[in-house]
Amino acid sequence: MTHARNLTFAHLWVAFIAFTIALVLGVWQMWARSPLPAPFLTASTYFSSVTAHGTATAYVLTTFMVMGFGYYVAETALARPLPAPRWAWIAFALGVAGTLMAVVTILTGRAAVLFTFYPPLIASVFYYLGLVLVVAASWIWCVLMLIAMGQWKRANPGRPVPLAMFATVANAVMWLWTTVGVAAELLFQVIPAALGLKAEMDVGLSRTLFSWTLYAIVYFWLIPSYIAFYTMVPQAAGGRLYSDTMGRLTFVLFLLYSLPVGLHHLLMDPQQSNAFKFLQVALTALVSVPTLLTVFTIGASLEIAGRLRGGRGLFGWIAALPWERPMVLATGLAFLMLGLGGFGGLINMSYGMNAMVHNTSWVTAHFHLIFGGTVVIMYFAIAYAIWPTLTGRAAPSLALQRLQLWLWFIGMLVMTLPWHTLGLLGQWRRVATFNYADPIIAAWGPWVIVSLIGGVILLASGLLFVYNLLEFNVAREPNAEAPGALYATAVHPPARVPATLNGFRLWNALVLVLMVLAYGYPLAQFFIIKSPEALVHRVDERR
Amino acid sequence: MSDEPDPRDRPWRLWASVAILSVFAFSVLFGFVLLPVIQGRGAGLDAWTSICRALGIAPGSPAAPQPTSDAKAQPTTRVAWSAGLMEALARPSAAGATLASGCAACHGRDGRSVDTKLYPDLAGQSAAAIYKQLYDFKQGSRANPVMSAMAQPLTEEQMVALSAHFASFPVRAIAPVDLAAPGEAIERLVARGDPARGIPACNACHGDQSGGPVEAPRLTHQGTQYLAAQLRAFKSAERHNDIYSRMRSVAAALSDGEIDGLAAFYSITLAY
Repeated sequence: MTHARNLTFAHLWVAFIAFTIALVLGVWQMWARSPLPAPFLTASTYFSSVTAHGTATAYVLTTFMVMGFGYYVAETALARPLPAPRWAWIAFALGVAGTLMAVVTILTGRAAVLFTFYPPLIASVFYYLGLVLVVAASWIWCVLMLIAMGQWKRANPGRPVPLAMFATVANAVMWLWTTVGVAAELLFQVIPAALGLKAEMDVGLSRTLFSWTLYAIVYFWLIPSYIAFYTMVPQAAGGRLYSDTMGRLTFVLFLLYSLPVGLHHLLMDPQQSNAFKFLQVALTALVSVPTLLTVFTIGASLEIAGRLRGGRGLFGWIAALPWERPMVLATGLAFLMLGLGGFGGLINMSYGMNAMVHNTSWVTAHFHLIFGGTVVIMYFAIAYAIWPTLTGRAAPSLALQRLQLWLWFIGMLVMTLPWHTLGLLGQWRRVATFNYADPIIAAWGPWVIVSLIGGVILLASGLLFVYNLLEFNVAREPNAEAPGALYATAVHPPARVPATLNGFRLWNALVLVLMVLAYGYPLAQFFIIKSPEALVHRVDERR
Repeated sequence: MSDEPDPRDRPWRLWASVAILSVFAFSVLFGFVLLPVIQGRGAGLDAWTSICRALGIAPGSPAAPQPTSDAKAQPTTRVAWSAGLMEALARPSAAGATLASGCAACHGRDGRSVDTKLYPDLAGQSAAAIYKQLYDFKQGSRANPVMSAMAQPLTEEQMVALSAHFASFPVRAIAPVDLAAPGEAIERLVARGDPARGIPACNACHGDQSGGPVEAPRLTHQGTQYLAAQLRAFKSAERHNDIYSRMRSVAAALSDGEIDGLAAFYSITLAY
């Protein structure tokens, strides 16, 4: 370690700065929707804030985190320098430039379209171009990851690619597939409209293209957490990974079943037919396979660790686990949130129940619990795990790290559980304010305030997280661990794995087949049947 | 990344493909064939129609039986907005000026009504709003003894030209002595509506900064009596050319006092 040290630092700090700003905005948004009078509140400040919050968390935090962590894994798991670090820095510069471009556009009130765009609403073209730059940066990252794995394979013929790197490349391959949908939407529909070249657009087509991206992008955010589950958690718990093959299968299945399933976001949309909705929902259900494989494998790995530490009996091993270690604690909390969020997700993907919750706060609460909860708490744990190897210093205070993780968990539940309830009560989403003079809406008030308190706890936790990282700068005790020691060995370390589980050729072919079958006609219909187009509605030109 | 083919890997490739394609085939069998056919039977549909509907190549949802009725549905309005139309409406032309002489007797030469109690001001009105009403008068979606007859002979181009022409004039000045503060209750209706009665804010569509329907007219600078008469016509559904009954449902929820208050509010408000 490491040429990638500064690269990882730079990416993660951009991610965490965007994240901290997003937290402040998020709390203000909860406040705006509550019965308590919030400052600066108008509909346009609210929607600009939501756009900034979504852009910062969904595009900036995640993309920079995935890239920074990817560079780290490529160097530490493969134990060789990163290929073409100059290109990695060019990508970083592109990403930062794109982020600034999008942020300035949002701050000037010219991009209040939310991060999911909602055409025919059209923002200033600079907002979209900023995001295109961020995506272009991530594409460079994808290519670098593929090259890094290719070079390692040539240098180590016949040997299995280390699981952490295999998973990182799985994510890169998936991301290249994922971004095709949104890139097509932006390049052929949204950006021409933003430039004034088109005055009408086919909203059905743009929503279908965005759905292509919308589910897989969540797995792009999630996979760093799964990499930590498979490679870092068993080691941190003092055990071994139960099965390396299960890990490979899991990442391959995520690649396969996060893509041809996006229509489940469009269950209430009229432009797609029931049969294709059914097909994609059925494929969505298969995401439960890698999820349950992971619960089983990580459960078994932790059990090995607990028993090695002297745990006895049916559940004694759980108590024997080293819960004082942040990575282990974060995993426990992440699994609890994944369980709750997963059940909520089953409701969303069921047609009839989706009809009831579709446009309510339930959905917002769901993705905050899964993404803000399970995914982000593992981002914290990853940062805590790799910071000693990056700074060369041991963590000054594990107690503060644990406090931060607990605060995040408690804050997330206090915020999202009432939020789910509000959705069931009928509170609609994408709305700036509520008229609490209405007796029905007045009854929501107390729940919204509880949610707001959860948001404040999350903000406190986020600030403590930044403080904990800054503490490394004043720490004195050197870090004794080598970076490679972060990754767990499997119970049966693979001497050889089938080529199928050591590369992505077969899986790319199968993704292609599934995508053509699942998305071919749903997209082709827009060109076969002439559909009505909507007038473009600019949000950057209002008086 | 050239993986050398290894005979030991063949079963992997084969079974992975078989497993994934079987799942796909299973989903297709259920989603494209079994469910539509079984559900369609309940709705009295034959198998072929059910499958076509499920695929989206024939209209209709497979499960719901359609009620039978001899009634012929009538659209509330036949106006269809398009980018080309919006562009044409933004360009005043000489043709519009010539045609406008026929309107001057009531609406004034420069779009300022000769009697604001009876006729709306067209000066400064949005071209889309004027066009929509002309179109509706011509098609019969809206009826008025004078206007229906006036709109009848107009071609589409003429209606566009007239709308663009009148929209290009500046609005009428309001005498400062007429300006007065509206009641708080009326202002609340305009800005926030009354959710308890299902009334949205007037501003949501008619405000300057709203993102409402393109055809929503500007309400300021109109006569009090004219505005009140239109709200009452919507309330009684005598006027019914509003898509989704938007204005009919709002007006039906308003009291007589509120109708007069709102009409007065808009007639003495410079901009909103």
